[in-house]
Amino acid sequence: MALLALRDVTKRYPGVTALDAVDLEVEAGTVHALVGENGAGKSTLLKILAGAERADAGTIALDGAVLRLTSPRDGLRCGITVIYQEFALVPSLGADANIFLGMEPMRRGLLDGEAARRDAARALGELGATFDPSTPVSQLSTAECQLVELARALVRDARVIALDEPTAALSTRETAHLFVQIRRMAERGLAVIFVSHRLEEVRAVSSTVTVLRDGRRVWTGPTTQVDEPALIRHMVGRDVEYERLAAQGGRGAGAGGTSDVVALEVRGLARRPRFADVSFTVRRGEIVGLAGLVGAGRTELARCLAGADRWDAGEVLLGGRPFRPRTPGDAIARGLAYVPEDRKTQGLILGLLVRENATLPSLRRFTRFGTLRLRAERDAAAAQIAAVELAPGTLERPAGTLSGGNQQKVVLAKWLLADADVLVVDEPTRGVDVGAKIEIHRQLRVLADRGKAVLVISSELPEVLALADRILVMRAGRISATFAAAEATPERVLAAALPEGHAA
Amino acid sequence: MSAPAAAAPPVRRGPPPLAKFGVPLALAAMLVAGTVLIPGFASAANLTTILLHASINAIIALGMTFVIVTAGIDLSVGSIVALAGVLAARTLTSTALLGAVGPVGAALLAIAVGLGVGAALGLLNGGAVAYLRVAPFIVTLATMTIARGTARLVTGGVPVGYPDPGDAGYAAKVAALDVLHGLGGGRLPVPGLPGGFPVPALVMLLVIAVGAFVLTRTRFGRYVYAVGGNEEASRLSGVPVPFVKLAVYTIAGACSGLAAVLLVGQLRSGGPDAGTFYELNAIAAAVIGGTSLLGGTGTAWGTLIGALLLGVLNNALDLLGVQAFWQEIAKGGIILLAVLFDVWVTRTSAAAATKS
Repeated sequence: MALLALRDVTKRYPGVTALDAVDLEVEAGTVHALVGENGAGKSTLLKILAGAERADAGTIALDGAVLRLTSPRDGLRCGITVIYQEFALVPSLGADANIFLGMEPMRRGLLDGEAARRDAARALGELGATFDPSTPVSQLSTAECQLVELARALVRDARVIALDEPTAALSTRETAHLFVQIRRMAERGLAVIFVSHRLEEVRAVSSTVTVLRDGRRVWTGPTTQVDEPALIRHMVGRDVEYERLAAQGGRGAGAGGTSDVVALEVRGLARRPRFADVSFTVRRGEIVGLAGLVGAGRTELARCLAGADRWDAGEVLLGGRPFRPRTPGDAIARGLAYVPEDRKTQGLILGLLVRENATLPSLRRFTRFGTLRLRAERDAAAAQIAAVELAPGTLERPAGTLSGGNQQKVVLAKWLLADADVLVVDEPTRGVDVGAKIEIHRQLRVLADRGKAVLVISSELPEVLALADRILVMRAGRISATFAAAEATPERVLAAALPEGHAA
Repeated sequence: MSAPAAAAPPVRRGPPPLAKFGVPLALAAMLVAGTVLIPGFASAANLTTILLHASINAIIALGMTFVIVTAGIDLSVGSIVALAGVLAARTLTSTALLGAVGPVGAALLAIAVGLGVGAALGLLNGGAVAYLRVAPFIVTLATMTIARGTARLVTGGVPVGYPDPGDAGYAAKVAALDVLHGLGGGRLPVPGLPGGFPVPALVMLLVIAVGAFVLTRTRFGRYVYAVGGNEEASRLSGVPVPFVKLAVYTIAGACSGLAAVLLVGQLRSGGPDAGTFYELNAIAAAVIGGTSLLGGTGTAWGTLIGALLLGVLNNALDLLGVQAFWQEIAKGGIILLAVLFDVWVTRTSAAAATKS
């Protein structure tokens, strides 16, 4: 019997099903890899396992006993430790204090620092750590923080350890050391879940692989039975295909095909260490897709173009003229709009009304001598809301009361109203349902057909493939490949996006 | 999925209807209770006194509302009242100045000095918050002690203003103080209102009306709500966030300067210890009036209601002969109730939002 068994685990967020009746069995003494594209449901699965999120349906059983996890504390008590990419450590406290956080050894009602230090030192020693156990975590490297997390799992007598992309920020040597520790933990009888995008590492360290796609388990089997191209096929094969939205003729300039007028030209742009050497052009009437894994540097690039961050090398031409925005306000005034990826924290002001959100970037147009022309504002906002197919009644509602898909339409309306020549759209359909997705895709195509230049960042391959006339792929801060729409396949794009050494 | 929201009523600036009317209703209830229970409470003379006493706090609280709506805080307003007040009083009673421009000229200059000192200190606060990115609490805490210390330093710790009878410029100084008293303590004759309508209350209504207009009808006002609602989203939308922050602290400083001028006029002197705890009264008025310390919500009229509610409470407890110590406790209770109410409204409206 498997040590850990998930049955029919389902998790829905407003507008999207993150996990759809997922089964997963992890044997004691094995390393079980979990792979899938961004948004496949891996992170949600880990959160449910940790007790940080509650499943809407399904069960989690440990040793045959069904667990009720309502908080991370429950998960830890049951012996399940999840180590996230961004560690759950308190930077100002020492490694020993972090290891015993929430279960501090006590003596006569007081903290027993001596025992904590001693036991922490032993656990860290077992893991091959060489630093002083009382070192503040803020002074430790990523690899050392990982050892602190692992030591924490050890002192808690964890039976299941899940690691989310543990090697993303590690050097080759540190990765090798981590793998030794992971194998030792498995030998001690723990069940280890290993989430990674690096298929080579998956093959090196795991004995079983499960592939998730769109919240479903699509394949589970022994690692030895599957090669990397096959894994990639499992990851990208898809039930829902978007209709390809072909470019309409007669856009911007010239009929058919894309116009020749370059709207945005990026030359050798760099913001180290996030991205470097990025060069590309976007023409009027064209949708360029920017694919890649989360963390490849796409959002950082977009934020530089938007004037939200500075670049430290290279140049940008907007409409043929040098462009170096100091603030997002500058960029908007020059005709470049950035639609940020997280609508709740960056895209919208949830407490403001839909109308007020929609007109915020273009408010200057609805102002005379500093005073708002409310009627003009309302008319323009109402027209734009109708154009993105939102109900008129939403106009005077706080943006926070709308569903995710409708919020994204408000974001879109806001930037349509700003009437920029170049739109940089970051993950336009994350967390929205299929209906809203199709509507948003249609709107972006309409924009391009009106002669706008559109750069779409998306981690969802089918979206990029359906939408873009040209696809750029970023990997580790650089453009790794460029495809024309006709020559792009999910396999080729994903192979260019995955970390190096994994040619499919 | 895009369910038409035809049934949803238009919602103004955050608070749902109950929140919108809860505090005015509380004020009305207090007025009714006062009228029934306290002899003399409902007299015109007493009601205008309440307005007079609430006016200084309401003016400062309006500036505070701008700051709090951006999710900031200004602890320095009380000390700014003191420093702007003593400098205005000094200007007003400067023998050289009186000789040159006369009492009316000196009064006008004193008003300019009061407003200018307040705005300048507010500008410093805003600059540190907006451009040096220091936490507002810390910046204004520093300004609070610096301004208070400066006020005591320049005065030697004693009030400035009313001259000794033996003073060479006694007559001129008293004349100048009387001119400013017209603003800070004067009453406009109103038919049927014995004693007239207090000028500071008129100034208060004017300031609140202008504040309401700026917050609801100008681009700047919209930006104030946007910055408080979500600073990053505002910035990415092209809102000049640093300028907005600089401006709200400057407005708060200028409001304090105006309050200082009125206070000097009213008392015929500027004291270095004036304005103590005014920042807390202003915060209380704003919060009772529906301004959230988290930013993004609050209105000028709400703040006026909050200031009036505190004024009525003080007055009623005074008339009832309640000990000052008990008054403080009662005031604290009201503030707590207002905040609990706010928390409750936020929670229920959040629950309503997730249902839709």
